[in-house]
Amino acid sequence: MNRRFAKEHWVGLAGLLLFIVGCYIGLFVAPAERHMGEVQRIMYVHVPTAWNALLCFTCAFIAAIGSLWTGRERWDATLVAAAEAGVVLNGLLLIQGSLWGRATWGVWWDWDVRLTTSLVLLLLFIGVLSLRSFAAGSERRASLTAVAAIVAYVDVPLVYFCVRWWRSLHQIQSSPATVDPAMVLPLRVNAFALMFAAIWFIVRRARLELARRRSSETAIPDRIERIEVRHA
Amino acid sequence: MSELRSQTLTLLAKDLRLEWRAKARLVAVGVFGLLSLVVFSIAVGPDSKALTAGAAGFLVIALLLSSTLALAESFRIEHERRALEGILLLPVRPGAVFYSKAIANTLSLAMLAPGLSLFGVVLYGVELQPANVVSFFTIWGLAAAGLSAPGTLYAAMTAQLRSRDVLLPLLLFPLVVPVLMASCKALALALTGDPMGQMRSWALLLLCFDLIYWSLGGILFPFVIEEG
Amino acid sequence: MKVANHPSETPPTAFRARDLSRRYGQKWALAHLDLTAVPGEVVLVAGPNGSGKTTFLRLLAGLLRPTAGELELFGKNLASDPFGWRRNVSLLSHASYLYEPLTALETVRLWARLLGRSTAEPDLRARLREVGLEQDGDNLVSGFSAGMQKRLTFARVRLEDSALVLLDEPFAALDTAGQELVTDWIAADRKAGKTVVIASHNLERAAPIADRAVLLARGQMTWQGAARDLPNVLARAS
Repeated sequence: MNRRFAKEHWVGLAGLLLFIVGCYIGLFVAPAERHMGEVQRIMYVHVPTAWNALLCFTCAFIAAIGSLWTGRERWDATLVAAAEAGVVLNGLLLIQGSLWGRATWGVWWDWDVRLTTSLVLLLLFIGVLSLRSFAAGSERRASLTAVAAIVAYVDVPLVYFCVRWWRSLHQIQSSPATVDPAMVLPLRVNAFALMFAAIWFIVRRARLELARRRSSETAIPDRIERIEVRHA
Repeated sequence: MSELRSQTLTLLAKDLRLEWRAKARLVAVGVFGLLSLVVFSIAVGPDSKALTAGAAGFLVIALLLSSTLALAESFRIEHERRALEGILLLPVRPGAVFYSKAIANTLSLAMLAPGLSLFGVVLYGVELQPANVVSFFTIWGLAAAGLSAPGTLYAAMTAQLRSRDVLLPLLLFPLVVPVLMASCKALALALTGDPMGQMRSWALLLLCFDLIYWSLGGILFPFVIEEG
Repeated sequence: MKVANHPSETPPTAFRARDLSRRYGQKWALAHLDLTAVPGEVVLVAGPNGSGKTTFLRLLAGLLRPTAGELELFGKNLASDPFGWRRNVSLLSHASYLYEPLTALETVRLWARLLGRSTAEPDLRARLREVGLEQDGDNLVSGFSAGMQKRLTFARVRLEDSALVLLDEPFAALDTAGQELVTDWIAADRKAGKTVVIASHNLERAAPIADRAVLLARGQMTWQGAARDLPNVLARAS
C-alpha cells in the first residue's frame, strides 16, 4: 500500500517546529516581565491559544454557513473539525488561564470579561457537538449542527458586551497594555505555530469525517430486471 | 411579507387555542416556578438580607427553569401526528411557524410574571414601587422574548432527537447568558431603585438580543424543520 | 385546480422522474426510478412494505430531495421553486396531520384560512358534510376513530384542490361507504384533469380506478403498464 506523506503533515510539522522555537524564545530569551516575573511567560502560549481558539470557531461559523448554503458534506466535515479544534483550544485556554490566575492573583477563577466570555463560548460549542452526537443517524444532522454553530457564534459578541458592562461596575483587571517588542516575537511565532497545528488538525479531522461517511455509505444498487408482460 | 404576517397570525391563533386547551399544564409549569423560588430561599437560608439582594436573580432563574418545560412542550404537539409537516405542505412559510410559536411561548412565559413576582415579593421581602411597575414588567416581557426566540428554535431542533429534555437546557442556558445577566441587573434596579439610570442600558442590551435572535430564528428555522 | 405556470394551458407532463434515487443512511429506499405521468391520469404504485412507495410519494410532495436522478413537476425542478411546488401538490400521508385538542370545525377553519379559502361557517360545514363528518363538527379530534380521522384528513385534500394528488393508502381504516367516497373523488379528479398517484395494498379497490400501475420491489421498479394487467403480473411474480 502506498502511504503518501499527506500535504497537511508538512503544515503540522512546521507548526510543531515553530512551537518549539517559540517556546524556547519565550522561556529563555525574552526578558522577564517587571511585575509578574517568570510566571508571565505562560502568556506566550496563552495568548496564541486564545487567538487560535477564536480563529477555529470563526472557521466553524463560515463552514456552517457553507453547509447550509450548499448542503455539501465537505462543509459539514470542516464544521465538526473546526468546532472540535476550537473546543480543545478553548479548554486548554481556560486551564492555562486558571494556572496563571492562581499564580498571580491567587485564585483559580475570576469573573473577568474574557474568562466569562471564554467559558460561555466553550459551553456553547460543547452544546453544538453534543447536539451533533445526539443527532447521529438523523438525515438532518448536518443542518442542525450548522444552525447551532451559527447561533452560538453570533452570541459571542453579545456575551462579551454584556459581561463588559457588568464588569464595568467592578474593577477592571489590568493586562499588559503595552508589550515590549522583545516579547512580540515569541507571541507571533507561537501564534503561527498553533495556527499551523490547528490547520493540520482540522484537515485531518475533516478527512476522517468524510472517510467515515464514505465507508458507511452503500453504493447505489444496480438496476434490476424488469418483468415483461405480453398482452394476449 | 403580508402572507407571512397573515399566516403567522392564523398559526398564532391555533397555538394560543392549543395552549388554552392545555392550560392545566401551564398552571403546573407556573407552580414549578413557584417551587423553585421556595427551594432557593431554603438553600440560601433565613438570612433575609441575602434573599432580598438576590431576589431578582432568583426570579430570573425561576423563569429560566420554567421555560425549559414550556418550550419543549410547544413542539411535542406538532410531532404527535406530524401536524407540522401537514402545515408546511399547505404550503405555509416556515418563518410563520417560527414566529407564531415564539410569540405564543413569549406570552406563556410572560403570563408567569404576575404570579412569580407576587410570590417573590412576599418570600424575599422586596418592595416594588408603583413607579417601577411598568419597567419591571417590561423587562420581564423582554426577558421572556429573549428566552423564547432561541428556545423555540432549539425546541424545534431537539424535538425529534433522543435525550431532548437534556439537550434543550444544555443548548439554551449558555446562549441566554446575556438575557440572564441583563434581566437580573435590570430587575434588581427596578426593585431597589435606579439612581444612576443604568436600567436603560440593560434594557437596551435585552432589546438588542431580542432583535438579533428573533431575526436569526426566522432565517434559520427553515433549515431546522425541512427534512431535505 | 392550480398549476405552476399558465392556468389556461395544461403542461405536457404532470411529473417526470428520471433515474430517481433516494438514500436513507445505508439503505437505498428508492433507486433508478423512471416514471412519467400526464394530467388526467391515475397511477397506482404497488409493492410490498418497504418497497419505496412512501418514499416516492414524499419525493413527489417535495418533502424529500433526491439523492440522485431528477424529478420535475409540471416542467419545474423542486430546487427552483419549492413553494410553487407545494401549491400544486396534496399529500395524504400515513400520519393524520391533525391536532388532537382541536375540533373538526376548528381544524377545517385553520386549513381554509391558511389556504386562502372561505372561512364562513356554512362553507366549512359543507366541507365536513362532503367527507361525512357534518355531525361531528364540534367534537374534538382526540375523540375521533381512525376512520373519522381519515375522513377529516381527506377534507384537507379536497380543500387544497391541487393539480397533483398523492394518496398513501387512501382506503386504509375507512368503511365501505368511505372507500366508495374516495373512489368517486378519484374518478372526479381524473375527469377534472388532475393527476392522482395512489400507493396502496388494496388492489381490489385501487386497480379498477387506475389507468396505469407500477410495481416496486426493494426500491426499484420491476414493472409498469396498464393497471388491468397488474393482477397478471403479480400472479406471475409469486
